[in-house]
Amino acid sequence: MTTRRQLFAISALAAAGALLTVPTTAHAQDVTLEFVVWNYSLETIQDNVKKFEELNPGIKINITDYTWNDYHDTMVLRLRGNTQTDVIYGGQDWLPSWAAAGWLVPLEEHFPEVAKYKDRTANYALSDMTYQGKLYGLSYYADIISFIYNKKILDDHGIAVPETWEDVLAASLKLKEAGMEKPIVYEYDQELPNFYDAFVAQVYGRGGEMFDENLEPLFNDPESEAWKHLQWLQDAFSKHEIVAPETHESKIIPAMNTGKHAFTIVFNYVLAAMNNAAEQPRAGEFDLALMPGAAHSTLGFAKFYALTAQAAQDDARRDAAWQFIEYMGGGDYQIAKRWAVEKGLGFAQLPLFDDPDVQAAWSGWIDPEKFKQQATLAKNGTWTEWTGIWTAYFRPLLAQAMIGEASVAEVMEAGAAKWVEYRTLLRGN
Amino acid sequence: MPEGARLGRPLLYLAALLLFLFSVGPVFLSLLGSVIPDQALFSFPADWFGRGFTYDNYRYIFTGELPRSYEIRGANRGMISDAARQVPGSMVNSMAVALAVMAVNVVLGAPAAYAFARMRFRGRRLAFMAIVLSRLVPAMALAVPFYLLIQALGLLGTKTALILVHSVLTLPFTVLILSVFFRRIPTEIEDAAIVDGCTRAQLFLRIVLPLSLPSLAATGLFAFMLSYAEFLFALVLSGDAANRPLSVVMASLARNVDVSWGILNSAIFLAVLPSVVLVAIVWRFIVEGILVGGVKG
Amino acid sequence: MRVEAGGGRARAVGAPASRPPRATVAARSGEGAYPWLWILPALALVLLFTLYPVAHTLWTSLHRVMILLPGEPFIGLANYRAVLESAFFAPALLNSLWFTATAAPLIVLLGLGVAHLLLADFRGRFLVRSVVILPWALPGAISAVLWIWIFHPSWGILNLVLYELGLIERYIPWLTDPGLVRVSVVVAHVWTQFPFAAVLLMAALTAIDPQLYEAAKIDGAGRWQRFRFVTFPQIKAMVVVLLVYAALVAFTSYDLVYAMTGGGPGTATTLLSFQIWKESFSMYNFGNGAALAFITVLISLGFIFAIVRALPSDLFGDADA
Repeated sequence: MTTRRQLFAISALAAAGALLTVPTTAHAQDVTLEFVVWNYSLETIQDNVKKFEELNPGIKINITDYTWNDYHDTMVLRLRGNTQTDVIYGGQDWLPSWAAAGWLVPLEEHFPEVAKYKDRTANYALSDMTYQGKLYGLSYYADIISFIYNKKILDDHGIAVPETWEDVLAASLKLKEAGMEKPIVYEYDQELPNFYDAFVAQVYGRGGEMFDENLEPLFNDPESEAWKHLQWLQDAFSKHEIVAPETHESKIIPAMNTGKHAFTIVFNYVLAAMNNAAEQPRAGEFDLALMPGAAHSTLGFAKFYALTAQAAQDDARRDAAWQFIEYMGGGDYQIAKRWAVEKGLGFAQLPLFDDPDVQAAWSGWIDPEKFKQQATLAKNGTWTEWTGIWTAYFRPLLAQAMIGEASVAEVMEAGAAKWVEYRTLLRGN
Repeated sequence: MPEGARLGRPLLYLAALLLFLFSVGPVFLSLLGSVIPDQALFSFPADWFGRGFTYDNYRYIFTGELPRSYEIRGANRGMISDAARQVPGSMVNSMAVALAVMAVNVVLGAPAAYAFARMRFRGRRLAFMAIVLSRLVPAMALAVPFYLLIQALGLLGTKTALILVHSVLTLPFTVLILSVFFRRIPTEIEDAAIVDGCTRAQLFLRIVLPLSLPSLAATGLFAFMLSYAEFLFALVLSGDAANRPLSVVMASLARNVDVSWGILNSAIFLAVLPSVVLVAIVWRFIVEGILVGGVKG
Repeated sequence: MRVEAGGGRARAVGAPASRPPRATVAARSGEGAYPWLWILPALALVLLFTLYPVAHTLWTSLHRVMILLPGEPFIGLANYRAVLESAFFAPALLNSLWFTATAAPLIVLLGLGVAHLLLADFRGRFLVRSVVILPWALPGAISAVLWIWIFHPSWGILNLVLYELGLIERYIPWLTDPGLVRVSVVVAHVWTQFPFAAVLLMAALTAIDPQLYEAAKIDGAGRWQRFRFVTFPQIKAMVVVLLVYAALVAFTSYDLVYAMTGGGPGTATTLLSFQIWKESFSMYNFGNGAALAFITVLISLGFIFAIVRALPSDLFGDADA
């Protein structure tokens, strides 16, 4: 394998890069960077930061953290209010709007050497971190949306792993007959961005797309996979009654562990929590299956370290920020590997897919090969300046269609009209 | 003594029991959830007491020692959230802020309420309305301007910011309630004091306040509770973990995939304790009222 | 006639008890600037945090303030029109009105009943009094966790107990049926709010002069009549305040309901208050959010008006006090 050579090459490049950047920081006085994160595993973040500070004595990092579900809103407050913010966690769904608003600047513009990481990054992650052709960040973690099922329940009932959504329906009906009231537990909260993302992931599984290359909606065509799948979901919820809604992934974990459900669709890292023998009664029974549908594709996404326009205005800050970002998201990927091994977070850095330490750590809760297979098939979403506000509008419509409060036709047409309205408003066409 | 309910004894005890269950029930659930292992709690058919009690969750919150269940094979030791360890510290933060808010409410609110109740002056009605109606604007709309204001004052991320904002949120109600109570004090008492040569201030401090202890305690308690449980501004104005209030930490725990049900419930149960202590202290002022003397005589 | 010596002014104070006692402490005309000393600290603090935010919000509601578009031009009432015509407005308004109209009276009624109960004499009284305060101490998001545990259709305690007791055969969808979910969130909300009503009503009840009850009893009044003619008039001001406050809290609250249901199923529990936040931070349209905020203010004023009219009391301005 070329892994070791790759790693050596990366280290050499990183060392060269570090040598080249040393002069810039040597004459700068001490810089304190404001690093804003959501507080997933804050202790780990603090430890990573400490390691960076030890290697870079001239730079101090001040961490401010918010909870994940408040992160976006409080960041909007911070950025609008011009509170000093230098390096942040960025998300794929906000990048275009925050970049268009002038809050973030592309790394590539100031540090062209970041381009060397491009071919070592999963394509969906690379796409997520790019806006108007320029790379805006290096990935913190990247993950996919997964179709998760209970192996034991399926085995006990002699059901094969579903390959298509028809299979899923058939399996659910069979389980329902055997006494399982709601074989599917579904994350249903119209205010959560991943409520939309999960829908897109399922559409990708069928081989469908939401938009074409010209950003025209495809889903308002009754023959489109998206339309058909919303219909499938509506039938599942309202007609066959095989779906139990749950407002958040943190509740899906205990729900699946009651043994009352067999299927769910959540972020891949939730599987790690479901299979955690420390707390879960049915740990070990859950596994990942390729997203049902002809294409077996799914949605992949990345969260990344980004540089603010504010930081970029000051040379010393900007350079220090780049060093920090590269340490955390690039270099020899030690930090990303740590997240993967210790916490089960997915990653965008291609070398890590074949890293033996990662594979060893992951085999406790997932089949690493299957994960690699699904990630290879994953695609990115369509992120534009208005995707954020459009999904905020579209999600409640999806929610209504699923439980039968509105028809699929109404919802798809309203969604398409709104998309075109926003596109025209913001891009003039 | 004021009239209490005069139901038949059995009915009275039944009502008391129902009230007890209604108030305590959910909190008692959190106590159970914190000491019964998750595997037992979510078993179906339900078998809650089959595995005994565990105090590992509390031990983790206070000492960081991993619960024993994480030592077994197959357990992913990384999958436990350190956010739970912030609970004790943030509890202290919230208590400090809430106590300060309570003090501000009494010190600033009581004199104002008394002036509205007993003094006549130009603009009295307007000032009263201004204070009371300030609460009409929904908090959600105030988030942005409050943020900008606090940032301009340089107080972003400090406990002072929260004390100020929570006081602003509670003062209107304090002033309103206390003005109602102050008006209830029979005027003969106050007149007698004035005749004896008291200044207004003396009258207020030596006679009115002691007579109003129940209502002062009640509004003080109200201010404490609101500040302790307040979430929106605590979130928007909070800074790093050192100053973070409890409500923000708790909200984070509730939606965290790495927080087991047991740890979450342990945090919930801990969060309730300061209020219980405060109530136990303050209660006798509210009800075993020192409302004697002037009224009966 | 006694002459008051304090305060540097000589005033005639009505001596005979037959004269209305109000003509003394209360009826000081023209006290000048002295009272302002008493109210200034509170007033200044509140005004500092009210005037600027209200002005800012008003200004924002009249301009186009959208993150994705540059500039902030004046657009008059366009935001208001957009909000009123939007698809979310009517259902959210109805939900919020229903929620408020059910929760506020329930809170006050329950508080009144609890206050009476706690003032009665029975063994264990202190214990019950102490625990009554518990629901009030929890942030909304946390109470939501507990009530989800109780109401959850699949693993909730309520269904478990009812099932074990043989009262139901199938689990009841407390949180997933659009009708039932509205009841569930009201129950949870009332649980978090009734303690403060109870506490304040207890304080109000203890302030009633027992002699009034004695007099009524002597006149032969029964228990209900004593309540209606002695108790209620004395606490009416407090009841009005509590109703108004409970209504405002219910109308503008969101965290408990949102944490329990996410606004669902469908739109069954989406509340107007949350839409203010959503318009600003999710739809990136702060102008709309501000306009909706002012619409909410107007509706709240309507509540206050209605309540104060329905229950006249000496709360907002007597002739003298």
